[in-house]
Amino acid sequence: MNRQLRKLAVALIACYLALFIKLNFMQVIDAEELNAKPENGRQVVRDFNRPRGDVVTADGKLVAHSEESDGRYKYQRTYPTDDLFAHSVGSYSLLFGSDGVERTYNDELSGNTTDFRVRGFLEPFRDEPNVGTVALTMRSDVQQAAKDALGTRPGSVVALDPRTGAILAMWSYPTYNPNLTSVNDATTARIFKEAFDADPAKPRLAKTFRDRFFPGSTFKVVTAATGLDSGKVTEETPNYPASTGYQPPLTTRRIGNFGGSSCGGALFDLLKVSCNAGFAQMGSQLLGPDLMIEGAQKFGFNEKAPIDLPGTAASVFPTDFGKRLRDGDNPGDAAIFENTPGLAQASIGQNSVSATPLEMALVAGAFGNGGTIMAPHVMSEIRDRKGDVVRTYEQSTWKTAVTPATAETMRRAMLGVANGGTASGLAISGVEVGGKTGTAQLGTDPPKSHAWIIGFAGPPGQPAQVAVAVLVEGQPGASEQTGGKVAAPIAKRVLEAALAPAGP
Amino acid sequence: MTALTATASPARRNTEAGLMALAGIVIGVAFVLSSLGRSDAVPANLTSFVVAILALFTCAHIGVRKLAPRADPLLVPLAVMLNGIGYVFIARLNDRLAAQQAGWTAVGIFSFLVTLAVVRRVRTLERVRYTVGLIGVLLLIMPLIPGIGVRINGARIWVRLGVISFQPGEFAKIALAVFFAAYLVERRELLGTATFKFGPIMTPDPKHLLPVLVAWGFSLVVMMFQKDLGSALLFFMLFMSVLWIATERASYLAVGMGLFGGGAYLSWTLFSHVQDRVSMWLNPWQDAQGKGYQIIQSTYAFAWGGVAGTGLGQGLANRVPIAESDFIFAIIGEELGLLGATAILVLFLLLVGSGLRIAMAATDPFSKLLAAGLTTLIGVQSFIIMAGVTRLLPLTGLTLPFVSYGGSSLISNWVLVALLVRLSDETAEAADRNRPDDATTVIKLS
Repeated sequence: MNRQLRKLAVALIACYLALFIKLNFMQVIDAEELNAKPENGRQVVRDFNRPRGDVVTADGKLVAHSEESDGRYKYQRTYPTDDLFAHSVGSYSLLFGSDGVERTYNDELSGNTTDFRVRGFLEPFRDEPNVGTVALTMRSDVQQAAKDALGTRPGSVVALDPRTGAILAMWSYPTYNPNLTSVNDATTARIFKEAFDADPAKPRLAKTFRDRFFPGSTFKVVTAATGLDSGKVTEETPNYPASTGYQPPLTTRRIGNFGGSSCGGALFDLLKVSCNAGFAQMGSQLLGPDLMIEGAQKFGFNEKAPIDLPGTAASVFPTDFGKRLRDGDNPGDAAIFENTPGLAQASIGQNSVSATPLEMALVAGAFGNGGTIMAPHVMSEIRDRKGDVVRTYEQSTWKTAVTPATAETMRRAMLGVANGGTASGLAISGVEVGGKTGTAQLGTDPPKSHAWIIGFAGPPGQPAQVAVAVLVEGQPGASEQTGGKVAAPIAKRVLEAALAPAGP
Repeated sequence: MTALTATASPARRNTEAGLMALAGIVIGVAFVLSSLGRSDAVPANLTSFVVAILALFTCAHIGVRKLAPRADPLLVPLAVMLNGIGYVFIARLNDRLAAQQAGWTAVGIFSFLVTLAVVRRVRTLERVRYTVGLIGVLLLIMPLIPGIGVRINGARIWVRLGVISFQPGEFAKIALAVFFAAYLVERRELLGTATFKFGPIMTPDPKHLLPVLVAWGFSLVVMMFQKDLGSALLFFMLFMSVLWIATERASYLAVGMGLFGGGAYLSWTLFSHVQDRVSMWLNPWQDAQGKGYQIIQSTYAFAWGGVAGTGLGQGLANRVPIAESDFIFAIIGEELGLLGATAILVLFLLLVGSGLRIAMAATDPFSKLLAAGLTTLIGVQSFIIMAGVTRLLPLTGLTLPFVSYGGSSLISNWVLVALLVRLSDETAEAADRNRPDDATTVIKLS
């Protein structure tokens, strides 16, 4: 009988071992997948039943906070600054999930990282849960300046520190108040969400990094820098004779200058007046598609900027200019491609070139920062409940766009544009400011255009401290002055705010 | 083994006292942490809880010292540990049920002591085997008697007599274990030898098997009418393991498996609730908001617990329906994680190990079979329900012994442990009695 008893013991042990293995599958191996099942509401319930970390600006302003609530859940997410950071900090809603910083740093805000878990474990008798505070690089004063300066015109403003990639301000209008859609009361939240979604102005769209626009003449700095970097363009050559326009090969359509004006000369002169004829010829005939594509991509075109926010759009530079039709081996002769006219347009930021305002701010910043583009980011550090820093954003280089020598030449060229050129509206006394305007035509009847300006500013003789891109959409008029007139004052106010020391 | 039992009876009881103190501390700390986790407050009834635990543990321990001084020192500490953990989780789920469970625990320990006091010799049980068997059968059919039987949650396993409601099946299992053991001891010689020629196969004379087959078939049929698959499975496993151990013939196991397979298939074709259980086991997500809801929520609870659990009182226990009863293991898995759930598995394994050790050490066949049967009941019942809750096997409703809420289950399991304690004490006593004789013989010879 004892033999059978031993066998019975073995059988029961095998049963329990099978249970143990099954537990391992459910609790370890498949746990994450099971937790993420949509009808398994545990994560949501947990997260709304305990406070979530705050989001604060670099100057200490509270942007997102969990408030105790009497409703079905213990906490309600609120945004004390209303719409000011809606597009970057995003929102955290029971119904619609999360977006922006709330999404990227969800684990830190909900204390769900290994680090916070370990800390929580080491202090088992602390009352409040160990959740992280996200400190932004963004400054509420700069953001407010951008909001005030743009007013109720549809458009975007991006300001960043080109030395680090830190975003200082990122504002676009129209916007929305995230408190309305993230309220725990489902009926209210749904009404506002549906209203916002039905609005053709798309108030919930973060245009600064999720939408693309024709960059227009602001793109000429990319063409110029690509030329300089290739060695085919110097400060002195080429020197184009003055003309009112340029007719690319294979087409009868001329690319004219704004207002039919006549312009020409070497690089600095071309930039100062934003000469369409000169840059169209430079890009399409002197540089050609290979250099132009490579040059644009070195600035980050055709790639998503690695900002720490979800849903970034990639800026676009066309890559297909067709077969080579003529070699251009003879001196003074240029290679011709099937779509050389398209390349001529692309070289001045038209055709199918499109860029996010963020990308254009990064381009401007590259010239203030020795040709290097740092990875843009909005998080500066994560703090624990005691205020100790647990993680600092690790800066990294995103692109080495051009050599330092090219960057320096371009910097001086853009200083010239802001000093007596189309971007004169940017000039701030005692500060070195460089810039470039742009007017991307949308239609001629009535004439309408996107008014652009990009620029950088810093103390004389030092790397730029701020880079900026401003876009005002659909402005009446179509002259090169439009960008300078409409966008420059906004950019100037933002630059001034960003150059002032951050106050609490 | 003999050397230890001969001299170490007081030491065994001291070990038991130490283990019970340890269990008491673990349960007390868990009780406080669970309340802190739930409401950030020390439980209001902490003093009465501590007093009750001290009183109950002391009674149980002194009872064993007086009534079964040589018994295995692990049984009672394991039982109180499981009982206590169960109480902590029931208190975490439902205050009203917790108060009742506290009362049932007291009645359970009282029944444990009464059983020890009444059943002074195991032989007594062997003598009254037919009476016990009849009681077992009566208990089984009670829920089917119109007027007193009650259907709850689809299964007709309750009986209401005046103010008292109970599940007679919980007590029937012990009665049947006693009856099977006694009956098979009597017939094991006959059943173990093949004398009957059934075609080319030699089998034992079927007439010796008849009463056992009747008992088994009877219990199965009753279970079918009561729609209580878990109990049917449990009875069948009890019957098979005792029969196999008694006859030492593996062919019975093979025949048993065949019977089981046939029965399972038949009930699958006949009963829609059996088909539901199987399809919800294979894929509960096909009816996630309906029939599969409970098992899915149970799975999520385990997953949510992860390795270390959410912490006592900090899970989302109200998501699993009827968590205090059959699904309590899911809440343990959620709040104590893989570590806590494994600890429960280990506690049951230790209990099973102690029971089988008693069976191995026992010298007379009835004690052996009874110990094996009772251990099978605890080991298989806990496995069936834990396997069901974890979706290792199709879900068949059973309580998790000592842990789940329920008076009938708790009391019957305390009675069961009392019988194991009695068996253990008697076995050790027999070993004590034999030893000095042997020693004397040896001296005489030299």
